[in-house]
Order: sequence, then C-alpha cells, then structure tokens
Amino acid sequence: MLSINAFNTYRIPQQLKYFKPGNLQEALEILESVEGAKVIAGGTDLVVDLKYRRVEARALVDISRLSELRFIKLGDGYVEIGSAATIREIAESGVVKEKLPLLAEAAESLGSWQIRNLATVGGNLCTASPAADTAPPLLAYDAELELVSSRGVRIVPLGKFFTGPKKTVIERAEILRSVRVPLTPRTYGWCFIKLRRTSFDIAKVSVAVLLRVEGGFVADVRIALGSVAPTPVRARSAEKLAIGLKFEDAVRVASERVAGDISPIDDARSTAWYRLQTSKVLVKDAMWRAYERFLGAGAWR
Amino acid sequence: MEMRIRFRLNGVVTEVDIEPHETLLNVLRDKLKVKSVKYGCGIGECGSCTVLLDGDPVVSCLVMAAKVDGSEVATPDYIAQTELGKAIVDSMLEEGAVQCGYCIPGFLVTIYAALARGIRDVDEMRKAMVGNICRCTGYVNIVRAVKKTLKRIGSQTPRNAVERPFR
Amino acid sequence: MYNFVGRSFPRHDGFAKASGLAEFTFDIEVPGMLYGRILKSPYAFARVGRIDTSSAEALGAVALTPDDVPDKLFNPRLLSVEEDTYKDWRVLAKVPRYVGEPIAAVAAPTEDTAQRALEALRVEFEEIYDPILDPFKATSPTARPIHERILRGGRWVEVRNNIAAELRYSEGYLETEEERSSVVVERKFHVPRRYHTQLEPKGAVCKLEPDGTLVVWTTTQTIHNTKILISQVYGIPMNRIDVRKVPLGGGFGSSIHTNLVTLIAVGLCLKSRKPVKLVLTREEDMVHDHVSFEFYMRVRAGATKDGSITFGELENVIDVGAHQVQAYPILGTSLGWFISLYKWRAVRYYGRSVYTNKVPSCAIRGYGAPEITWAVETVVDELAEELKIDPLEFRLANYRGKGEIFWGQGPTVKSVIRSDGVPELMARGSELIGWKRRESPKVKTGRFRRGIGVGRGFHTSGAGGPLSGAIIDYTGAIVKVNEDGSVDYITALQDHGGGTLDAHAKIIAEELKIPPSRVRIVWSGTSTTVYDVCTHASRGVFAGGEAARRAALEVKKKVLEYASRILDAVSPEALRIEYDRELDDAAIFVEGAPDKRITLSEVARTAWQRNWGSISASVSYRATVAPPSFTVYFVEVEVDTETGVVRPIKVVAGADVGTVISPELAAGQIHGGFAIGWSWAVGDEVSYLENGVPAHRMSLADYKLPTSMDLPSDDDFVVVFASTYEPYGPFGAKGLGEAASNPVIAAVANAIYNAIGVRLYEIPMTPERILRAIKGGD
Ligand SMILES: Cc1cc2nc3c(=O)[nH]c(=O)nc-3n(C[C@H](O)[C@H](O)[C@H](O)COP(=O)(O)OP(=O)(O)OC[C@H]3O[C@@H](n4cnc5c(N)ncnc54)[C@H](O)[C@@H]3O)c2cc1C
Repeated sequence: MLSINAFNTYRIPQQLKYFKPGNLQEALEILESVEGAKVIAGGTDLVVDLKYRRVEARALVDISRLSELRFIKLGDGYVEIGSAATIREIAESGVVKEKLPLLAEAAESLGSWQIRNLATVGGNLCTASPAADTAPPLLAYDAELELVSSRGVRIVPLGKFFTGPKKTVIERAEILRSVRVPLTPRTYGWCFIKLRRTSFDIAKVSVAVLLRVEGGFVADVRIALGSVAPTPVRARSAEKLAIGLKFEDAVRVASERVAGDISPIDDARSTAWYRLQTSKVLVKDAMWRAYERFLGAGAWR
Repeated sequence: MEMRIRFRLNGVVTEVDIEPHETLLNVLRDKLKVKSVKYGCGIGECGSCTVLLDGDPVVSCLVMAAKVDGSEVATPDYIAQTELGKAIVDSMLEEGAVQCGYCIPGFLVTIYAALARGIRDVDEMRKAMVGNICRCTGYVNIVRAVKKTLKRIGSQTPRNAVERPFR
Repeated sequence: MYNFVGRSFPRHDGFAKASGLAEFTFDIEVPGMLYGRILKSPYAFARVGRIDTSSAEALGAVALTPDDVPDKLFNPRLLSVEEDTYKDWRVLAKVPRYVGEPIAAVAAPTEDTAQRALEALRVEFEEIYDPILDPFKATSPTARPIHERILRGGRWVEVRNNIAAELRYSEGYLETEEERSSVVVERKFHVPRRYHTQLEPKGAVCKLEPDGTLVVWTTTQTIHNTKILISQVYGIPMNRIDVRKVPLGGGFGSSIHTNLVTLIAVGLCLKSRKPVKLVLTREEDMVHDHVSFEFYMRVRAGATKDGSITFGELENVIDVGAHQVQAYPILGTSLGWFISLYKWRAVRYYGRSVYTNKVPSCAIRGYGAPEITWAVETVVDELAEELKIDPLEFRLANYRGKGEIFWGQGPTVKSVIRSDGVPELMARGSELIGWKRRESPKVKTGRFRRGIGVGRGFHTSGAGGPLSGAIIDYTGAIVKVNEDGSVDYITALQDHGGGTLDAHAKIIAEELKIPPSRVRIVWSGTSTTVYDVCTHASRGVFAGGEAARRAALEVKKKVLEYASRILDAVSPEALRIEYDRELDDAAIFVEGAPDKRITLSEVARTAWQRNWGSISASVSYRATVAPPSFTVYFVEVEVDTETGVVRPIKVVAGADVGTVISPELAAGQIHGGFAIGWSWAVGDEVSYLENGVPAHRMSLADYKLPTSMDLPSDDDFVVVFASTYEPYGPFGAKGLGEAASNPVIAAVANAIYNAIGVRLYEIPMTPERILRAIKGGD
C-alpha cells in the first residue's frame, strides 16, 4: 500500500546516500557509477518529490556548491549562467538586469525569497515543468544549454531541450553545466507577466515578450509562454504573423493567433478554458508593456 | 548510515551526526532540539521553518542537512536575542502582530534578513514576506510591526549578525 | 475610566511565541517516547479483513489495530447534551468510510522506523464499495447506507437514506406574507468544503505516570472535554487523566472537538506502556483529517414596496462527510443565524445533513454564519435593488437590533439584545468608504472596474442562556494571590491566538487594581483547573472573562476583609481600593485618613505571616445570555474584466464588541477575520475526485492562502469600534473572533457585483468563475 501512507512531508521517507563532490568531474563519476543517484541543486523540486515519492532515489549528488557551476559571466556577445546559479543571484545580478532584463523579471517572480535563495536555474530547467518561470524568457532569448557527461559535452538549444511535461533530452549521467544566452545586437523592449492564484505561486499562465519596433512597425517579436502546453513554448505562428505589422495590429493579431500555438489543459491551478482566454490577454498586455519599455529605452539612448 | 556535519549554529560551531536523508529542519528540531524552527508544511509553502543559511532566509524543510556542512545557520530563538531581532520582536508585541504564534518565528527571520540587507521600503518588505503564510493576522499588524521597526532603527543599517559564511 | 481595560499591553506569551521558544504540541518530547504513524484507508468506502502486523512488529514497532481499542461509538465533540450527541465514530475503523480514515497505527523508537513499520502493515480489504460523494445521490433510496445505525446518546437510531440529521422549523404565516410582498427573490448558493489551515498540524503526546495517570498534551480548544472523551472511550476514571494545556497554533474550529489523533495516541500509549508522540504531517492534516462543511442553500425572501421585509425561507443541505461532528447542531445554528439576521415576519426552514464518503467536516470560524450571512446579504441586496432603496437604509429598517430576541446558537439559546452598535457602524463605515460615490455597475466601463459592497452580520458571544438548553456552556476560573501579592490565574480556557487570556489578566488586574503584568497566566491541566467547556463560539472574553472577573471579585473581598483587620477599619466596606501608579500596586485605604493605607502586597504578606490563610477563589460560571457582537464590513474591490482577477482596494470594518479590552489584539481579530473571509470568498476550496480522493488541492502548494501582497495593506484597512456597552459582559465586553469574519464573504460578493454587474452564487469567486460570469456563461 504505497500511495497515501507512503508520503511524509516531515521526513523524507526514503533511505539515501549523500555525495558532495569537490568538482564537476567527480560529480559526473559518481553519477555514472552509483545506482539510483540523482543530481540535487537547490532541492526545491527534488526534496518535495522525494517526500511525495514522485521520485525514488538511492543517492543524491549535491552540485549546489560547485564553483564551476555557480557563476554568471558576461562574454563576448553572450551571457553565460552556470546551472547552479540561484534564482536570487540571477534576479539580482547586474549583468542579467542589464543584458537580460526579461530573465531578471521572471526570476524575481519565481517562488518566494526563501525559495529563490535555494532554487537554481539548472533545477528549474531540468525539472521541465511546463510552468518553469525561467523557461519562457530563455526561450525568447534563444538560449542554448551545455550538457556534460563523462563522454563529453553537447550543446542543445533550449527549444529542443524539453520533450514533454517533466521530460527533457538530458540523460541519466548528464549534468547541465550552463545556459548560454546570445546577446542581440540591438535593444529590445521586454516584459514577463505571470498570472497566478496568489503572489506566491507557480504560473497559471506566463508570457515572455521581446519586442523591437521600427517606425511604428514590428521589426521583431518573440513570444514565449509557460503553463499552456506540455512544455514551455514559443508562439512561432503568432510571432510570424505579427512581424511586419503596425504595432497595434501586431498586438491584435498575436493575441488572437496565440491560441494556435498553445494546447492548454485543466489542472490544479487552472482550466484549459481560462488559460486560453488569459493567454490572449497576457500576450496583449506583455506586448504593450514591452513597447513602452522599448520606447523608454530608445528615448534614453 | 550516519554522516557527520560541522557547521556554525547561532554562532557556535556544532558537530552532529545526521542521516543523509534528513533535512535541516529534521536535524535542527530532532537532533539539536532547536524547536523554534516550526514544521508547517514540509514543502516550502508556509515559511514556518525559515532559518538563515549563510545570512539568507531559506525554508529549512527543503534543505538537505548534509548541504549545510561548513555553513552558518541562524534560527529564530537566536535572532530574537540580537539587537535587531529584539527591535523587531518589541515592535511585534507593541503592534499586536503575534496571534497563535506558530508562523511568527519564520516572519522574524525573514524580516530580520530583509532589514539587515538594507531594505527600507514597506512594499519591498511585504514582497519579501510572501513566503511566510499567516492565517491569523491578515498581515496587517505584522506590516505595522515592520514599519515600527523601521522607525526604531532609523537610517542605520544594522549588522547582520549571521552573514559571515563559515568554511 | 479604566486603569487597564482598553489599553495596550504586550501579550504575556509574545516573546516566547515570536522567538519560537513557546512549545507547541509538535515541539514536546518526553524521554523514551515512541513516534506514531497512522495507517490511513486508501479507499473511500471499504471493509477491512485481516491486518497483518508481523512485519511491522519485526521492525520493533508496536501496532494498534481495531481489535486493540474499545469497540465503542462516540462523537469527538462533547458540547451538546448527551441526548443530542450523535455517535458514529470509532478510534480505528473496520469499515473505513473516507479516504484517510485511520485503520491502524504503529509506534516505534524512531520516526524512520515508524514510517517503515507503517508501510510494512498489510491490510486485506474484504470489500471495496463505490464511494458516494454527492449529497443528493446519497439520499436516493437505492444508495448504499454509509451508516446503518448510530447512537443518539445511549439510544440506537436507524439512519435512513444517509440522512445524518434533519431540522424543520416554521414561524408565522409564510403564504400570507408572500402575498403581501411586492418583490420576492429566490437564489441558490453553493459553498464548498474548505480547510481550516491552522498553521500547526494536529497532534498529541501522551505518557503514563508511575501511578498510572495518563498525561496528554494535544492540540485542542478544550482540555476538559478531551479528558471526558478519553475517559468515555477507554474507561479510565477522569481523575486519572490529566490533559495539559499547550499553546495552540491556530484553531479556526479545527479542534473544537477532540481530534482522532489524540485517541489513537492514547491507544498506542496504553498498548506500548511507553510515552507516544503522534503528530500529523501537513498532508495528513489537510487531506485526511477533517475540513469544513459544504453547504447547498436555497434562500427565498420578500419585501413590501415600502421596504419592509416580509418572509424568509431557507433550505439548507449540508454535506457532512463520513461522520458526524456537528451534523445536527449546525442545522440549528444555521437556522439561528438566519432568523436573527432580519425581522422576518414569517420563516420556513428545512435543514438536512447528509452523509457522504468524504472526510468528515466540522465547524470553521463562524459555524455556518459566514455562509448563511453571504446568502442572506446577497438576497437582501437584491431586494433593495429591486425596490430601489439604498441597501444601507433597507438593512437599518429591517435588521434585528436592540430589544429583539437573538437566537445565536439555535432554538435553545435565546436572549434579548441589549447592546447594538449597528446604526453607528453603518454611519461611520459608509462615511469612511465613501458610500455616496458608489455607482451602479451599469454605468461602469473600462477594463478595470471598482465596486463597493456592504455586508452586515454578527456572532454570538458564547452559547449561554437563561435555560439549560441543548448546549453545554459554562466555565471556571481560579485566582490566587501569592504570599508576596503576585497573582496566579488558573483556567482551563484555551487561547488559540486571539489574546483571550491576556484580556482575562487585564480584567483581573482591573478588578484588583494591580498591573496586568502582576497576573501570571498559569499553564495548567485538567487536574488543576475547574471545567471549561471549550474556547469556541467567541465566548473566551465574554464568558471566560466574566468568570475571571468574578473570581477576582471574591479575592478582592478577602483582600478588603484582611485589610480592614490590618487598618482597624470598622468593616471592609469602609475601605477604598485604587491603583497606585507610584507603587505600581493596589492601594487600600480609608478616605481622609492618610495613615490608613496599605498595598495589596502587604495584605498578602500579612495574611501569610499571621496565619490567616490563602487569598484565593475558584468560581464556576454560566452566562445567562449570549449577546450578539455586530460587525459591518464595507469593502471596495477592483476587478480586471479581462482576466477576472479581483483585488481588494479598501476595507472598512466596523465592530460592535462592547467595551474593547485590548485594542490592538481586537483589531488583529478583525484583520484576520477579513483575511480568512477574503480567502473563502475568492480562493479556498477542497474538491474531490471520483474515487473520493481529494482532487488537486492535496497540499499547501495548491490550497493557496493569501500572502502579505494579496490582502489590503495596513493603510487601506480601517477598523472602527462602536461605542457600546454590554451589560452582561465583563466591563461591558462582548465576543469578537467569529463576528470578525462572518459578513466578509457577503461584503466582498456585493462589491464584486457592484463592480461588474453580475452576481455569482458559488464561492470561491475565482478569476475563472468571474470571467465566465462576465462573458455570460460558455
Ligand atoms: C514553494 C515552492 C514554490 C515554487 N515556485 C516556483 C515558481 O514560482 N516558478 C517556478 O518556475 N518554479 C517554482 N518552484 C519550483 C522550483 O523551485 C524551481 O523549479 C527551481 O528552480 C528548481 O531548482 P532547484 O535547484 O531547487 O532544483 P532541484 O530540486 O535541486 O532539482 C530539480 C531537478 O533537476 C535536476 N537537476 C538540477 N540541477 C541539475 C543540473 N545542473 N543538471 C542536471 N540535472 C539537474 C535534479 O536532479 C532534479 O530532478 C517552486 C518550488 C517550491 C517548493
């Protein structure tokens, strides 16, 4: 009789080993050799899953303190964020705020202060929740992930990383090393909006928008949504239809057409119907706010 | 399958044998008998178990105990004795911010950390507290206590007595 | 006028609580104790066969099965008199009737072993039945009986059609009144089950003293009823049970009765002969222990053209879940709230509590009043609108106020209203919210629309009354002056956070003219206190405070008597007593004779040194009335008509609690009352899957409570107290806890309507429901 009698949120009802590797290489080796070993970063997803027995593990490999994974770096034409960088570090990072304000805005809305101090971007992406807050902005930025294993390194575009709810292309003995975000040569307006039940909640619907307008016409728009499909998604068809239109028309078209890019379902937080209705509203709102910011930034420059 | 961890708890270097599957909450409460850290949900939602980990508030129910080896941890009972902690507690009592008292140690930790970081704006303070749930007060008197503490401490930035990471 | 009443003092347990040093049940440890875990039924309706405990025992655990506990039916709540107590519970169930019903339990030296032992228990289910979840299907003659017969007091009664209890009532000539009415409004309302979400999960710690006395620490609002229930179930004499008072991490009704966890812990302790700690995890507490009642209400009411209310009809179907806690009494109080709201000239009521295979439900803050008040205040708003009468005027003309009979806790608890602050609260509240700027929803345009709503309600102060009635309600207090003049106050009455006992200390201090800090509130148990029924029904300050005052009065009499001996006065009546600020003590003196002055401390010392005996009093007190505390809420909200999201803009909460004993704590009750009401109105809901497993909202991750950012900020929350005096209350005080939340749903609902022009008859009014309403169905 597993089920309800097997849960315990006071103490993890599973026996575990705990490894604290000194470097990434060691972490990979443990992961390779110890059966049932799982990576743990902030633990804000994994510990809950262990208590509810949604994940069975034999050992935990703690990567949260590895300096190789805990950094935020401004490179030439890109920003690179180590997978163990905490959400709070990201939200407060000067580099992120300046270069990736859309990500900073999303990071700020994730969980509570207590959660952000633990939670990592690597954990957020690897959990692969359709509602992961860092995913829509990173999708909009066309981020790439660097996955490492004892066999080597591979680069996967974030758009190809998620394969379904809680599913990714990552393999058992692989570790997400970092997220690389190419910088756009020009300024974009940005906006992340998250609809939730209370101010401390996972998204019912989230929308991330990056926007460039030239002479009143949309030169580029990138729209990504969370919690409205099996994975976080880019609204490619809405984007395509909106580019080239006058801004007001683009908003209308994108907001209408986003329906074709998403496939929301009913769950604890919301219903498919509501998600569909509000996705349209949020796309509109986010585009307007991004536009205002774009103009503000333009005027300032 | 025990393992030994060493960390600084409320200013005192502490060594303790733990089980690898124990959380910081378990070890604080059951091994070290620090009962000021309350269990409310075990999944990071209520904030009753908030402690400072290297100066930052975290929910101890989601922190593996093994992780804090080499860290600095501070709990509400200790924070209540610091200068800033006392100022917060006094303000809470004057404003009637304490009702059933189960969630309030967690609030103390969060408010302490926010003030020690130099947050002075009341709305910022309210935002900082969203991870602490209270069913009794509607937060009104808690926010009033924050305001009163802000008045008490004026423009000074109180020292965070527990920010130094320890390795 | 008073020295201490009405002034703010830091609460006595404030530091202990803020620092976390206060020990709650969850924090208590007894050397050598075992840790318990409960085996919960995974099925909503089944019959248990063999339970194999051998693997669990092989791990070193003690296992408790239904065969190890007395096969006795009981009701965990002992507030009703025996003949009105419906008994259908057992400590451990052979026929589990809801998902989570305890079937067995284990206790082991470590928590991990207990968990493993729990998982090692093997249960055979002889039969698994389809659960009955719908209270309307449950009453079909073909539905399987959830209970066949239960005990009412000592008598067996058959359960027909899964109806747990029924109550009918009528008064006046409804048909005639209806004919007289120029408008009639009829609406159906639905209130889902909600979870109390007291922050402390329930639990118990027990141990046996060497002499066999059972000591129990547990999350309860009533230590004496817990003692009595343990005695009834396990056959232990009551003087061999000492239930100790422990701080309670929130109640909200969740521990008015004695929680099952307490009885199971006792069973484990008796079987193992070792101390046992059994505390629920949050998910056990919220998903498998108990929740609030679910209401299906139909209200019909009418009024004449000139705005006087004619009749009211209420049909009230309550889904009580698998067992009765208050299935019968809630029908009576629902009627009581309904009848006491307005001056109906005719009333018809039909209430029915129905069994389903869901977690049992019990009272939640307000005990039916928030739900009934929402329904009635909605219909009343609609009547006023149809009659084109201002909703405030309409209410003032028709509500039951001073001089009228108040029914409070149902038909057996009636008394005359003697203090009534409603007109004052209506006037001041409407001014502060800006009622005059309130516009019809029809003229509102734009995406974000604001609306103002009003809700008026009340709650009883206790369940006392002139006749004995169906509810037990009396309390007691012991006040003892120590040999140095310090005072111990000993009571069984619990404080679940409102500061009740601090109010008592202040009342005692006021009577004795000593500073409240001199009165120590003693943590005690059933062995050292006299009976108090329970901290419920907002009776703490009103009934408990009066008991404390009476005990203080007796003590004062003795003090004066001794003082008159010392001062050589002709009699105690010749003496005056006052608070001497300089000495920070009570001074007893003869007017006009400056040398005839002595402090209370000196009197105490002298009485000790001269062998006069202790200065103490023990009283038992029954209130002969249960006066209503009125509350009037004005709420302004903003609705985003594109997403349905509602935001509170401003709250003006008016409360008539008689004399305010502790202003900041009383305000705190109102803030908290609003918070819980707001979350009922827009957020809280427990729903179920077809197999009887609570759907979705299995944890606090999905049962979301408002945060500090979701409720009005302190600048937008105005509290107004009426200047009234309740002649029966201690220093004129009445209750507050529940009145603080009762009209909140109503006010919020009326505000939402005023914003968008559409009414919702189902709570919570989630953004989704609001959006659907705005879009006109779908
Ligand atoms: C109360 C609460 C509120 C929350 N609110 C939000 C919210 O608002 N928005 C939101 O998006 N999320 C939220 N979350 C979920 C969670 O906090 C985030 O997803 C967080 O970013 C996870 O990071 P972590 O480091 O804690 O992950 P962990 O729990 O440590 O790991 C999560 C998963 O990722 C794997 N993993 C972690 N790092 C790596 C790596 N580098 N390489 C390979 N695998 C890895 C782990 O094995 C595990 O399977 C909330 C969680 C809680 C408990």
